[in-house]
Amino acid sequence: MIELKDVTKKYPNGTVALQDVNLKIEKGEFVFIVGQSGSGKSTLVKLLLKEEDPTEGEVSVNGYEVTAMDRKDVPYLRRSLGVVFQDFRLLPNKTVYENVAFAMQITESLPKEIRRQVPMALALVGLSRKANMYPHQLSGGEQQRAALARALVNNPSVLIADEPTGNLDPETSFEIMKLLCEVNHRGTTVIVATHEKTIVDEMKKRVVAINKGLIIRDQEKGLYKDEDKNSQIYN
Amino acid sequence: MRIRTARYIIKEGIVNTYRNILMSLASIMIVIATLVVFGFFLLIAMNLELNISVFKELPELEVFCYVELDDNQVSQVEESVKNNIKVSKYDIVTKLQAFEKMEERFGEDSIILDGYDESIFPVSFIIYLKDPSQSAEVVDEFKNVSGVEKVSYHQQTIDMISKVTYWMRFISGFMIMILLIISVFIISNTIKITVFARRREINIMKFIGATDWFIRWPFVVEGVIIGILGAAIAFILSGIGYNALENRFNQDLLSLNLMFFKMLKISDVWAQLVLYYSVIGVVVGAVGSFLSIRKYLRV
Repeated sequence: MIELKDVTKKYPNGTVALQDVNLKIEKGEFVFIVGQSGSGKSTLVKLLLKEEDPTEGEVSVNGYEVTAMDRKDVPYLRRSLGVVFQDFRLLPNKTVYENVAFAMQITESLPKEIRRQVPMALALVGLSRKANMYPHQLSGGEQQRAALARALVNNPSVLIADEPTGNLDPETSFEIMKLLCEVNHRGTTVIVATHEKTIVDEMKKRVVAINKGLIIRDQEKGLYKDEDKNSQIYN
Repeated sequence: MRIRTARYIIKEGIVNTYRNILMSLASIMIVIATLVVFGFFLLIAMNLELNISVFKELPELEVFCYVELDDNQVSQVEESVKNNIKVSKYDIVTKLQAFEKMEERFGEDSIILDGYDESIFPVSFIIYLKDPSQSAEVVDEFKNVSGVEKVSYHQQTIDMISKVTYWMRFISGFMIMILLIISVFIISNTIKITVFARRREINIMKFIGATDWFIRWPFVVEGVIIGILGAAIAFILSGIGYNALENRFNQDLLSLNLMFFKMLKISDVWAQLVLYYSVIGVVVGAVGSFLSIRKYLRV
């Protein structure tokens, strides 16, 4: 479960990225965080990962009090979260298999576990046949699937995807989204920050819309734009 | 830490060192330079220490007759020693005793005395004074006795060597300190470059949930590898250099008439060199990497 209570984030340069944000995401949910660039959705993701600390308010993730957390506990918070980024962030000098296995080496998993889990994660994202290829030999969609396998290999209870389809063509984007749905069906909470209207509209999941640091809408089975007139903000 | 993690960390440390080979070599060079200078002073200090102890074993005051004096002339000198009121007692060292003493002092090197017998050594008198503070006067008095070649008064020599040792420690300590600081600085710069080259990787590791130390250790290993390689090469260089010097020096012992001065053999000093070099190498490497990670790995 993820909860933000009265969270405000001001950057040192005076920008207010989030203001009095209250948000609760239950276990097993699929949530889109939507908004334009600069709306504050990336800051929201950063707060969940404790890449940034809120100026005010409290953030709790998977039972961790993120705001009051000791620096040395941060890695354990991050292990309970899988993260996928727009730019994939694969290690270029490691094969797909090694990239995924790396996430397990870091958590000091048993080699036996690694040999069991990595092929499973790769099978889940449909990359079993490309396990021994290097990232530069793969298409964008395949790289993102490899990143997804890495995010999932440690069985996190929450998967956070920050603009996961930002670098992909529409068709590939839908494939990735389908995968995220499947991951969600297996019980993982999925949070997707995006500004891609077509995807959000198609999926009909919970939508949290952020604009200028404020949550302006939180809707089950929502669309990117609300039909009522409030939505003109997005024009 | 688990063994497989340790293996990963060491492997990454080696890869880091290798990828950044030019800077690694520069760092190794500076470690070598530091340790060779350190070793130079250390070896001088060790040799001075040895020779001071040789001097300390010698009697305070010793009167040497000319080698060619006959028994009659020797007893004349003895007479003047006996009659000096400042002398409390004295021992006579015969030619044979002098020869045996020298044999003993050279130990396994006494082979250089082959072909000589006791006739090359003078008779001497070891003198104990009633009042040691009068030694300077007594030395002057005996110098004027006929048949006396020289009077050795070792306190001065010991004082001088002690003084030299003291200043050497002081100067070498200062120089080594500066060199150590330079080494730490250069190593930390080398590692900063590696950190910079791998910042993307570090960032990814952070998000996957690597602990700070999991990320830091390979860089510490890199620093320690630089330190150890530097120490090993420095040891080889200073070992070869010292051994060559020691061989020359001990060969020239007789011709230079440096009977009392003796150099330690490489077999007596290598263990200490290895110990000091490896400890300094490891510490310098580790400190260098800690400094750079502290600043550049805010993870």
